[in-house]
Amino acid sequence: MTLAVGPRARLVISRIRPRARRRESGLMIVVAVVLLLGSVSLGATQRELAGQKVSWLPADAGQLIIYLGALFAGHVALVLAGRRADQVLLPTIGLLGGVSLILMERLPQSLVTQSLAGRTFGLASIQLGWLLLALAVITIVALAVRSDAWLRRYKYTWAAAGIGLLLLTFLFGNEVNGALLTIQIGPLSGQPTELIKVILVIFLAGYLSEFRPILVEASMRLGPLRLPPVPYLLPMLAMWAMALGIVVIQRDLGAALLFFAVFLALVYIATARASYVVIGLVLFAAGSAIAYQLFGTVRDRVDIWINPFLDASGKGYQVVQSLYAFARGGILGTGLGAGLPLVGGRLPIPAIHTDFPFAALGEELGLIGVVAILGLYLIVIERGLRVAASAADDFRSLLAAGLTLVVGVQAFIIAAGNLKLIPLTGVTLPFISYGGSSLLANGVVIGLLLALSDRGVEPPPPPQVGRGRPRFLGGSRRAAR
Amino acid sequence: MDPYVVAIWIVRIAFLGGLYLFMFGVTRLLLRDLRAAARDPGGALARLVVVGSDVSEPLRGTVFGLDAVATIGRDVNNSIVVEDEFASTEHATLTFRGRAWYVEDLGSTNGTFVNGLRIEGLRAIGYGDELQVGRVRFRFERSRR
Repeated sequence: MTLAVGPRARLVISRIRPRARRRESGLMIVVAVVLLLGSVSLGATQRELAGQKVSWLPADAGQLIIYLGALFAGHVALVLAGRRADQVLLPTIGLLGGVSLILMERLPQSLVTQSLAGRTFGLASIQLGWLLLALAVITIVALAVRSDAWLRRYKYTWAAAGIGLLLLTFLFGNEVNGALLTIQIGPLSGQPTELIKVILVIFLAGYLSEFRPILVEASMRLGPLRLPPVPYLLPMLAMWAMALGIVVIQRDLGAALLFFAVFLALVYIATARASYVVIGLVLFAAGSAIAYQLFGTVRDRVDIWINPFLDASGKGYQVVQSLYAFARGGILGTGLGAGLPLVGGRLPIPAIHTDFPFAALGEELGLIGVVAILGLYLIVIERGLRVAASAADDFRSLLAAGLTLVVGVQAFIIAAGNLKLIPLTGVTLPFISYGGSSLLANGVVIGLLLALSDRGVEPPPPPQVGRGRPRFLGGSRRAAR
Repeated sequence: MDPYVVAIWIVRIAFLGGLYLFMFGVTRLLLRDLRAAARDPGGALARLVVVGSDVSEPLRGTVFGLDAVATIGRDVNNSIVVEDEFASTEHATLTFRGRAWYVEDLGSTNGTFVNGLRIEGLRAIGYGDELQVGRVRFRFERSRR
């Protein structure tokens, strides 16, 4: 049988040159073995606690096989496309996602249920679906994005889209735990903030790379600080106002903190000037003080952070339970499946699958396991900053750094919040928390990082400033000395 | 002790160990990359890629590695020699000063252009900017490592 292949398709096929990605393959095998061990450990523990007979089957072999299959499919797609993209990112994300799947299999399946086509799916099945979609997004973005011109050309359009999404949330958002977060369109609901953080980074990378020379050459003096001319300070103030706006209108402290932290870090990366960080921190302190005075939610969070035990069965309940969970875990943990006894038929931490997965891991994997999870995030950050450091131009470099920071800072904010290191704010633990929006947005981030790390990516387009490039016609110019 | 419990603990610890095995593998790759980078002598700070040159030397596609100070001009003593009748003998310099790169026009007859705009004296330049000397256009890039 011969396949009818058009000339166009034949051209595409002829240009495919598979290239082995040995490091990635090796790490993938480690990931598969580790996830299998985790799943077996969970299965054995669950059967022991249920008083069933000894068996060494994984907790849910079907889900594990589907997940690993999808992960390997992504790997094979990158190999077949012959991309020279980073080889560590995909296995690391695969491991984090696998830990997420095991954790969701371990939690009570009734936490989240959804009926589809007459069947009811529990927590782990839904999360598996989102994980598969996220892996697909990573692979497709990594393979499809061959040029960043569409990102850098339309930075103000992106900014407008971001603000539009934000306004949409203000107008039509549903309230979750006192914060306006989700938008409902028909049966689908999503959290636009997750997407806004990616858009924000695209805009900031475009803006900062264009005005970097001016921002670096600070010209105005204010005491010991050297500042750029006032017009170039305005975006900084606008950013600050926007973060404060998110706190005021949306009451979403986590997103505000994340946006502002990523913004400050990017400004510092672009200019290497400590004065901007100082200004930013002063603005942050002022904003926090104002928010503390005006808003009950902010005051609650800070009070809980200072002493959760004052109201241990009320406002401080989740944080107290989170601390207990870490304490129960100790160094080695209780083992997957052996922690979290139900208290009076209820989970001690209601939001364990979204806001407190780090506490769950702390209990069941112990200090050693939690340090390993943080290590995995460090690997992601290291790879991302490496992409940034070897990018050909400022825009690409800032974009890679910003995308990396979005994931890194978010992981820090929620992990530190769970540990009562900083006030708890509701952001997701990237790739581990339950939730589609977060998984897909972070999938876009990792896909873009993979695309940017590819050495075959298109060289940066010429700058836009002063498009009318000087064209000297014969007589209009004198020959030089 | 119940052998089943002991076996479960072995699996649990093997899982934790596996997480560290993964990190160990990644760290080894990182160290290998770092050593390879350290062995590589080409320690250029940045590079200039010729993106447009129709009638003169250097030809399109030529890549120049830059040290902290680089001079551009028609004279053979410049670090980047531009064989173009519209370039001055000593046309411009590119310098790295701690935080940023700067380009300075050395009073050339036909001027130095950054992103199509003629510069006066010293100007900061970012990676990705386009530099024009005579009829030769360069793209200023971060060096690949």
